[in-house]
Amino acid sequence: MSKMNLSSVQGQAFVLGDHVNTDLHCSGKYLPNQSAEAIAKVAFNGLTLGFASKIAAANGGILIAGDSFGINSSREQAVHIMQMMNIRGIIAKSFGRQFFRNAINNGMPVLECDTSILLDGEMLNVDFSMGKITSSNHSIIEAQPLPQEMIQLIEFGGLIPFLKEHPDWKF
Amino acid sequence: MGSTISEKILATHAQRESVKAGDVVVCDVDYAMVTDTRASNTIKMINRIGKKQLEFANKTALVLDHYSPPPNLEAAQIHTEMRSFAKQEGTKLYDIGDGICHQVLPEGGHLTAGNLIVGTDTHSTTYGAFNAFGTGIEGTDVSAVMTTGKLWFRVPETIRVSLTGQLQPGVWAKDLTLFMLGKFGAEGLNYKAIEYVGQGVSAMNIDDRMTLCNHAAELGAKAAILEADEKTIEWLNAHGAQAPKPVYSDADAIYAQCLEIDTNILAPQVARKHQVDDIVAAHEVIKQPIQFALIGTCTNGRLDDIRQAAAILKGQKLAAGVRMIVTPASRKIYLSALREGLIEILTLAGASFESAGCGTCVGITNHLVPGDGDTVISTANRNFKGRLSNPDSDIWLGSAATVAASALTGFITDPRTVIGGDWRSHS
Repeated sequence: MSKMNLSSVQGQAFVLGDHVNTDLHCSGKYLPNQSAEAIAKVAFNGLTLGFASKIAAANGGILIAGDSFGINSSREQAVHIMQMMNIRGIIAKSFGRQFFRNAINNGMPVLECDTSILLDGEMLNVDFSMGKITSSNHSIIEAQPLPQEMIQLIEFGGLIPFLKEHPDWKF
Repeated sequence: MGSTISEKILATHAQRESVKAGDVVVCDVDYAMVTDTRASNTIKMINRIGKKQLEFANKTALVLDHYSPPPNLEAAQIHTEMRSFAKQEGTKLYDIGDGICHQVLPEGGHLTAGNLIVGTDTHSTTYGAFNAFGTGIEGTDVSAVMTTGKLWFRVPETIRVSLTGQLQPGVWAKDLTLFMLGKFGAEGLNYKAIEYVGQGVSAMNIDDRMTLCNHAAELGAKAAILEADEKTIEWLNAHGAQAPKPVYSDADAIYAQCLEIDTNILAPQVARKHQVDDIVAAHEVIKQPIQFALIGTCTNGRLDDIRQAAAILKGQKLAAGVRMIVTPASRKIYLSALREGLIEILTLAGASFESAGCGTCVGITNHLVPGDGDTVISTANRNFKGRLSNPDSDIWLGSAATVAASALTGFITDPRTVIGGDWRSHS
């Protein structure tokens, strides 16, 4: 199977703040009986009205957040909805624990670093495997990359595709 | 270089000599738990993997606790799907009213000291009370466990909390965990494991130890784990658990942080409305009226919690205008409370009992809906605005003793100021 190329993920930066609860803003927890497609159209509206249509207009993008992105959120559906919105990666100062697992298990590139200098709307080129962010406005940011095992899981598109190829769990 | 309890358990389960914080390891899991909120997703993920034979099925429990009883057709259908899956695959099933996942797993003898346990609920940290590494996961994770028996983990850093002295009468593990939340903030120990040690832990009985580990979820902890002692071993043996394999940390283990809390001087604590980390001593709260009191949930719905309430409300009546609901954490606890006469005491005082489940905590069964302007004092673990389906009501958190004392007076009350509020268990 073709692996995701994590060395050059490009897109416009969409900046969100601290403590974004993705259960609240990007899942069916509070919108029961709604399809994922319907939720994807209104995702993050509570933070920035029309967020989903802005991302759609930019043909997808990279989410930038502060502390504890995905805090108190446990539903991996939030990651599926972000993928549906063509969000190609998330860079945050820190992540809620379960959201972080869910991102890796579902093949969503993530990176932890100080995001305070990244600006909404600028173009980014991110090497998630090396932890390198090149922005259109700034010099390069060097972040601590994820451990190799997590990078492999993301490259495979998540834990289930990884296990289909590696049922013995050999990384 | 020495290891923490978490590092040792993860190393053993990864068949490695040692591991250190930050390593990513693949571990054999001892037991898995799936609740009804994540069951559909889990079954969907298992079907995506497409494995016919689930060898791990006999080490998995499906628990119907959150939608217990189901408030709508959608929830009822999830339960039907779970019953049918359990029958087909041979997993253990805990049906409506049997109890909350974190209570029925230990009660059912499904875990023992030294185990690695995963569950689709953040409060799976509870199993640390039995010296097991317990942590919360999601559907993809549990589908991997059910098909391969294994899961990946990043080894967490550990923070060691020494509890000196012992909690005084009227003060409980809930007060200690609320104090920790005030100190570190919600998610303040994100990704980390907590080891609680010292006389303060030894003095606690098992019910209180479960509260201590359970509530670590609000601190963001990946696990909260205690050493096993005679009380642990006795409890595990009494519940038919496999032979305990206690794990202790090394004297030269590396900790991210070490701190000491003098539990002798700790007073009953409460979390004020909307924020689990907005903590104040109960006696500092002046004339805050309450209309609803809840004793229950996976954090404080155990026998000792119901005993605390009965000690305070025996022969008394709830304050005028106060409604009180008690939700025992399991059918076994309900039965024990019945046999001890606690249910009669609390019913005579004006409380209503609910069958075991999570509904009165997470507000998805609509069995506890406060009116506009109502204040709820609850033993639950979370008090986000609107958690009980009404954003125009407030939820405060405290121990069972604090909740019962407040239900008696009609105001947030330090239990040490009412008769029976200094009751303590003798185990």
